[in-house]
Amino acid sequence: MQSFAFLRDRTWIRGVLANAFGPSFWGFAAGAAAFGVLAMAIKGPDIVAEALADDLRLLIDLMPRVLVALSIAALIWVMLPRERMASLVGEDSGMRGLMVATLAGAITPGGPSSAYALLAVLAVSGADRGALVAYITAWATLGLQRILIWDVPFMGAEFALLRFAVSLPLPVIAGLVARRLPLEFRVKDTSPPPAKKADA
Amino acid sequence: MSVGMLSLVVLLAILAALAVRQGEDFGPVLRRFIEQFGMLVPRMLCALIAAGFIAVLIPKEQIAALLGSEAGILALPVAAAAGLIVPAGPVIAFAIAAVFAKSGASTPALITFITSWSIFAAHRILIYEIPLLGASFLRLRVLSAMVVPLLAGLIALFIARYSAFGEAMPLQ
Repeated sequence: MQSFAFLRDRTWIRGVLANAFGPSFWGFAAGAAAFGVLAMAIKGPDIVAEALADDLRLLIDLMPRVLVALSIAALIWVMLPRERMASLVGEDSGMRGLMVATLAGAITPGGPSSAYALLAVLAVSGADRGALVAYITAWATLGLQRILIWDVPFMGAEFALLRFAVSLPLPVIAGLVARRLPLEFRVKDTSPPPAKKADA
Repeated sequence: MSVGMLSLVVLLAILAALAVRQGEDFGPVLRRFIEQFGMLVPRMLCALIAAGFIAVLIPKEQIAALLGSEAGILALPVAAAAGLIVPAGPVIAFAIAAVFAKSGASTPALITFITSWSIFAAHRILIYEIPLLGASFLRLRVLSAMVVPLLAGLIALFIARYSAFGEAMPLQ
């Protein structure tokens, strides 16, 4: 199959591995080891063992979510109608674009693996910087799923409602600030989206 | 299976069915999947372990003492800073919020803490944001959203002057 030929492409494989285990991976590993030594010195080996056991449980919990979230993001990345995205949340989308992004962030299901994977898709699909910031801020502060699963049981329904209400205007504000900040913003992910079939 | 996982699986099934119906090419889909997997998962392992250690090192009780309603508006920056240093998912963050609430933290302080954590959680930045979006996006987002936790706390503080609605009832 022609379209799976990349699986045998050595340069591609090397690139993926270099990305996975490059300098930043070793930076992370060194950080983890340093905090481990610190925890060992301050809290003792029992707490360290407990923390590691918790990590393992978390990891087992996390992996299926990451796999599903990345599959969703990869599918959307290929299927998303990019031209329509640009008019919906592109540079000239104005306040409406920020509100659409806010709504999308609030209803995005799943944890950071799905939200950030979708954000990366939006970033290469012509969404403007304000919409990107509004989307991820809305996911973080207004995410309905998080409010239902975490705020309500841990803090009570009234608190959850209050937190939702005070957070309502904030993603749009963050998006407006992002549009006005004189900062250079370069999308990291430069891999071009796959060419659509001409008759699609 | 949790609600979140269930909704993700349903979404995936719908998208996959759509892709098959439209006759999409799955080659690029798999390629994108593998590239992002490689970018995320090895770093995620390390960050997860580091976050677990940091979570046990945070002095929860000492911070809680600074968040009471007598601290008023001054509790907000402390709460925002506390949110920054919780490098862990909702299980740990909300467990810490419940500890704060039980030690008498004010509602605006709790809202600021949760908002700050949800926007700036360090593990999310390290595991997802930098690998997937890059440092220039991180800088833009952090500067744009910096005031958001404090704004949330200020609005809550304003509401608290008129109504006691929304007081936390932490899980025991």
